[in-house]
Formats: sequence, C-alpha cells, structure tokens
Amino acid sequence: MNMLYVLIPLALLLLAFAAWALIWAIRTGQFDDLESHGWSVVLDDDQKPPPETEEEKESKERKS
Amino acid sequence: MENAEGACFHCGEPIPEGTSLFVQRDGQDRPVCCSGCQAVAELIFSSGLGRYYQFRQDLGRKAEEDLQKDLEAWRGCDDRESLWGAELAEGRRELLLQTEGIRCAACAWLIRSHMETRPGVQSVQVDTATGYTRIIWNPEKYTLSRLAGALMELGYKPHLPLASAEEQGRQEERRNSMKRLGVAGLGMMQVMMYAVGLYAGDAFGIGVAERSFLEWVSLMVTLPVLIYSGRIYFEGAWRSIRAGRPGMDVPVALAISLAFIASCYNFFRGAGEVWFDSVVMFIFFLSLGRHIEMMLRHRNLQAGTALARLLPEWAERITEAGRETIPASDLVDGDHVLVRVGESFPADGVLKDGSTDVDEALLTGESRAVNRRVGDAIIAGTINLSQPVEIEVTASGQETTISSLGRLLLLAQSKRPSTSAIPSWLVPVFIIAVLFIAGGTWLGWQFVDPDRAFSAMLSVLVASCPCALSLALPVVYAAASRRLLDDGVLLTRGEALQALTHVSNVVFDKTGTLTRGTPEITRVEINPVRTSYDEKQVLQIAAALESASAHPIARAFQLAGDDAHEGTSLKANNVAVYSALGLKGVINGSEWKIGSAGFVTPGADTAGDDHIWLSDEAGWVACFQLQDSLREDAENCIRELVDDGLRITMLSGDSTDAVDRIADRLHIADRHARQTPEMKLAKLEQMRASGSHVLMVGDGVNDAPILAAADVSMTVKGGAELANSAADMILTSDSLSLVNRAMETARRTRQLVRQNLTWAVLYNASVMPLAISGMLKPWMAALGMSLSSLLVVANASRLVRREQAGKPSGQPQQNKVEPV
Repeated sequence: MNMLYVLIPLALLLLAFAAWALIWAIRTGQFDDLESHGWSVVLDDDQKPPPETEEEKESKERKS
Repeated sequence: MENAEGACFHCGEPIPEGTSLFVQRDGQDRPVCCSGCQAVAELIFSSGLGRYYQFRQDLGRKAEEDLQKDLEAWRGCDDRESLWGAELAEGRRELLLQTEGIRCAACAWLIRSHMETRPGVQSVQVDTATGYTRIIWNPEKYTLSRLAGALMELGYKPHLPLASAEEQGRQEERRNSMKRLGVAGLGMMQVMMYAVGLYAGDAFGIGVAERSFLEWVSLMVTLPVLIYSGRIYFEGAWRSIRAGRPGMDVPVALAISLAFIASCYNFFRGAGEVWFDSVVMFIFFLSLGRHIEMMLRHRNLQAGTALARLLPEWAERITEAGRETIPASDLVDGDHVLVRVGESFPADGVLKDGSTDVDEALLTGESRAVNRRVGDAIIAGTINLSQPVEIEVTASGQETTISSLGRLLLLAQSKRPSTSAIPSWLVPVFIIAVLFIAGGTWLGWQFVDPDRAFSAMLSVLVASCPCALSLALPVVYAAASRRLLDDGVLLTRGEALQALTHVSNVVFDKTGTLTRGTPEITRVEINPVRTSYDEKQVLQIAAALESASAHPIARAFQLAGDDAHEGTSLKANNVAVYSALGLKGVINGSEWKIGSAGFVTPGADTAGDDHIWLSDEAGWVACFQLQDSLREDAENCIRELVDDGLRITMLSGDSTDAVDRIADRLHIADRHARQTPEMKLAKLEQMRASGSHVLMVGDGVNDAPILAAADVSMTVKGGAELANSAADMILTSDSLSLVNRAMETARRTRQLVRQNLTWAVLYNASVMPLAISGMLKPWMAALGMSLSSLLVVANASRLVRREQAGKPSGQPQQNKVEPV
C-alpha cells in the first residue's frame, strides 16, 4: 500500500499539468474555432507560392 | 459544390446576357458573372488555393467589381490607432473584424491561408458561426487598409471594427466559463476516484493512515476547484443578498461552503464523514448547466447584432479641400455630406442643396417615396432615390433618431426570456422556506441521531436547489428564440410565445402585410384615338424612360418592360427627372413624358392617385393603373391558419375596392375597409372583450398602437423597422409562411415547457421527503439535482436540433453545439 504515497502525488502532478494545459489552450483561443482547422488536412497544398513581398505589392497597386 | 448551367463559377448567380467572362481552370473555361468574381477566382487559383472550390459547402459571395473606392476609404483610416484592435506585446495588435460572406469552413481556410502569408500578419482565426475574423498583426509592417484589402480581394466584405468590444466581452465570458467547467471537471474526476476508495474502504476495511491520506488528497483537490470554479456562486449569492433579493445562488453557496467546512472539520478531528466528492460534483454540474445556458444566450445575441446594422458605414464629407470618405461615426454636427443616388443617409441632417425623393420605408413602412427640398430634415438610414444631394449634419452616430430607436429595440431583445411562470417575489420566499426546512431538519435529527443531522441538512440544501425548475423556462425560451431566429423570426418578448398558443383570432393589415407594399401594373389602357400603339410597345417605352430611376414605381415598369421585351430594346436619351412628378426623355427622336396626369398633359382629367400617364408630343398615349401586389405565400398562410381553426380578420385603411380585391383572393370573409387607427383599435378591443385572444400582423407606424394592444403582435419585413419596437415578433424574411412556423414553434415550446416544469416540480417534491428523512446521502442529492437540470436542458435543445435535421444538406451546419 506504500505505493499509494508515491502514485497519488504523481497523479496530482499530472492533474496540475492537465489543468494548466487546458487553461492555456482555452486562453490562446484553441477552442474558439473547432471547425475549420479540421479542414486544413484536406485543403492545404504542400506547395504554396512564396509570400508576397513589399515590392510586388506596391507594383501591383500601381498597376491597378 | 457544382454550379448550375449558366451560373457564375464563383458566386452561383445567373450570368447576365452578353457577358462573356471566364476563368481558366484545368484547361477549361469556367464562366463568371462579373469582373469582380473573375478577379477573386483568378486570385484564388493563382495562389494555389483552388481546392476551396472543391470543398466549399456553399457558394461564394458575389464580389464587388470595383474595390478601389472601398480601399480608398479604408486607407483614410490607416493612421487611426483606435481601429487597430487590442494591444499585445512587441507592437502586435489583435484585431476583430466582422466579415460578410463567410459561409463555411472552406471560407475560413481560404481566408486563413491567404491572410497568413501577408507580411506582418502573425495568425488569423475565423469563426464561421459568427463571421468574425480575428487577426494578430503588426501595424508597422502592414497597414489596416491592406488587411481589409486582402479580405476584399477574396470577395469578402470586412466591416469597420467598431462594435467588436461587445463580442470581445462575450468571448471572454465564454472562455472563462469553459475554464471553470474544465477545472471543475478535472477535479471532479480525481475526487470521485478517491471517493470510490473511501467507500470501498467503508465496506471492506481500510487502514486509518490510508483513509486520512485519501481524505487529505480529496481536500487538496477540492480546495482549488472551490476557489476557482465555485467563486461565481459565492459572488452571485453575495450580490443577491446585498440587493435584498436572495436568489438561487444563496442555497448553492450555503450548501457547498457548509459541506466543505464540515468535511474539513471532520477530517481534522479524524472522525465522521467527508463530502468532498459531493462538493465538486455539485460545482461541476452547476457549471455545466450555466455554460449551456450561456451558449444559447450568446447565439441569440450574435444574430441580433447583425440585424442592427442600419446605418451606412462610410460617408463622403465635403470639405474645402475637396471630398473625402470617412467612417460615418466620425461625422460631427455641421459637416457637409454628399449622398449619391441609391445610397442611404449616414446621419440626421438638413438638406442643403438639391431636391430629391427619399425612401423612408425604414421609419414609416410607406413605400411611396417622399419629396424633400432644401431646408427639409433628413433622417439617417433613409435612402436617397433620385438626385445626388448635400446635407448638413445635425446629429450623427449614436445620436441619430434611428440609433436611439434601434437601441430601444436591442434593449427589448436583450431582455432575458421571462420566467413568468415563477413570479419574482416567490424566489426569496422559496429560498427562505428552504433555509427553514434545512434548519428544522438539523434540529429534528438532534433528537433522533445527532450524528446524521448534518448530513441530512446538507441533503436538504442540495436536493431543494431548484436548478431544474429555474432552468426549465429560460432554456426552452432561449432554444425557441434561437429556432425562430434560424427561421427568420426575431422574438423581442419571451412571453409572446406563450401567448401565441392561446390565440384564437388573427388580424391582418393589408398594405405591406398581405401585400408587398410595392406597386405592380394591373391595367393598361390605350388612348382610343392612338391605336397605332399596342400594350407591349407602351410598356417598353415606359420601361425605357423609367430605367433611369430608382423609384418604386419605376421598378414596376422595369419589371413589366422586361416581360414585354421582344429582342429589340428601346433606349431613352436626355432623361430628366422631375421629383414627385415624373420623367421626360427622348426615344427614337420624339419626346415622351411619363408621370402624373397634371405633369404629362396639363388639364387632363385626373382619374385618381394611382394612375400613371404616358404621352408624346401629340398627347396622351396610354394610362397605367398600379396596384399593390399580393405576397406569394399569403394564400397558403391564410389557408393553414384557417385549417388550424383560427378566425381571420382583415383591417385596412384602404378603399373598399382594393380591400375586396385582396380579401376575395384570400377567401377572407371578415373584412373592414377604410379603417382609421382608432377604428382598428376599437375593433380589436371589441374582439378581446368577447373573449378572443388576438394575434395582430402588421407593418407601418400607423399600426403601432394596434400592435401594442393585441395579445401578440408581429411585424413584417419591409415594414417600418422601427415600429417593430411595438411588436413581439419581427419577421425578418419576406415570407408570410413564417407566421405559421412561429405558431408551430410556439406550440412545441408550450409542450416542452410543460414537460420541463412537470419534471422539475415532481423531482423536487419527491426528493425532499427522502432528504429530510436522511435516506438520501448528499452525493446522491447532488447527482440527482445535476442530472435533472441536464435533462431539462437537453429536452429544450430538442427544439434546435430538430430544425437542423431538416436543413438542406448543402447548407453549412453553423449552429452545432460545441462539445463541452
């Protein structure tokens, strides 16, 4: 039965970690949108064009 | 999602004749309807995001063709720090933009993928249910206008981040509630586990040291849960006591604190029971119930604020330096503003230059345009129909007539669903009674078995918690109003649903309610001496002349002209608009006039208000009679109401002829024409005096007193939106079948309310004697109470879920209840 004195405090540590992780996840908004992230698995392309640079953006604006 | 033949690849709208615009994809040309949609689709493909089209569940929003004007306006706001959103560390900002056009998860992905590649944008989150886009960005690396521009490029329409504070607050509330729930849940699981050990120990024997160790661990877990998750109950109880009206939180706070203190006492003296498990379980299930209730409430609010957007966002201010586009909320008294044709006025003001027809249907429900001249007052939100004009601002933003009335409306909406079945004075009485019974139980047990006195008293406190009873009505009403909102009915007064089930008579207004309130050409008369023209020709001529105008009457002609169209279309040149009189223009070399009798041929016989005359240089050619057209589903609506056993009455201020024409088509026998508001009111009171319960369906301001006097009232879309404050329900879409839907929902609601009340009362009544007699342990009472609250909530949510099953599969499922 002495194992209890080791295992239960360990479980409490895990509990504290779980509570912290949950609060962190909620605070950083990971539960705000539960729908669209699932889609990125099928939607995301492996190849994406490089992000637009400032110069390109400006030249585009001048054109329009 | 596949599009129909001849529909735009991007937005699915029919492609106008003569348009041949395409986007290239997989070697195929896909047709699009306009250059706006073309630009959007090309951008999506060229950024490698073409899979959006494969996976989207709903069509895109029709894109604007010209983004430059909007972009220009946004650019003017680049330097305003107040619009950049909440400040984060390292110069970053968190911006919340309400965005039009977000319809499914694929949209969210598209926006995220496109926006996150912009420089200075750190992360983007899209909430598909509410349409809010949350952007974390650095304003020094990327400007606000470019952010807005990036959204516009994709065919979405961002709104100025003005009203986002409320949403921010709601999100905070949601997160906090979730955190409390999560902590209580984790704690509960642990404590229950130790409780199993303790109960097993009771049955099979356990060492003293192990026992006190398990109790000690339970205490260590319960304490943070009590402080973190249980705090709101103490705060709520304290608030309600200070306000002199003890609420439901008082016995809750009392039960959990007493149970906790007594458990600690027993633990430290090393004898007697502990109830830590009951404490955490009670907190967890209460939090769960509150969380679900909050989610339902937020959904209602979100849909409500979207409807409140009545004023235009931007205004064109005239300054000495020229014109500039600024946010309408920036206008101050004395500014001069240019309002173009078809735009709505951004602020209250006085007309300074020009004269124009104004559509004030928003306020009055009257579709006929009103002529306004220099010096006349203009009300914000009304629409400028015929000439570009300049106004001087007299009140803007929150001060405008419309905003103050809109606030009243919102106030009425945000009133919590009433729990009218439980009068408010009863709550404190009930609470005090519970406290007395609990005290009595403790006293009684002192004579029988003092050891069990405390446990029995706790059970009474927990079991009596009328959570299910107090939730029974609000959750059903919240679910019902949610359901109604999805159907297109805005509920402003919770009690109205109850009243709706008792209705025996339905009174309809005619103009704007049973009819559209917009004119339709019902008869064309050709001048007997000008028989060279036939009906189609005159309609085409009239349509060509009217095509320049945005007046409701012109709409009628444009529609009729489209029907009479035979390949060749006529074009009118040099069209001049004479406000409130008519139009003049040149077709095929000869000058035509269309308008009122006096305008077209001075001295002609004036046959009545709703006749429009058409003439050329030689005299009048044709005469058109315009009448109000019936709403398409009016007949169905009336038939179903009659089938339900309701008596239908029609009250109208219109002439006997017009009333008879509509009433005959709808088979309404009980009809009254030429009614003044006072007469309508008298009729209504007469009906109510004879014991009938009346539902009034109406629109304009003149109906307001009758709407307020009826047992239940509804207003129809397109009616005076602000007369709606007198109504219990507002139909937000253009369909009368909503009346029937609302009746059905009301019946369902009554059924659910009865089920819930019966259950809650039965449960509380049957459990109380068990608790007093000590047969019910505190943990059983907590479990039973919580389960019975959950049952009530689940029963109510059936109202929302049933509706989703009936939705067509192509629709995005926006309203899914998030897993808790």
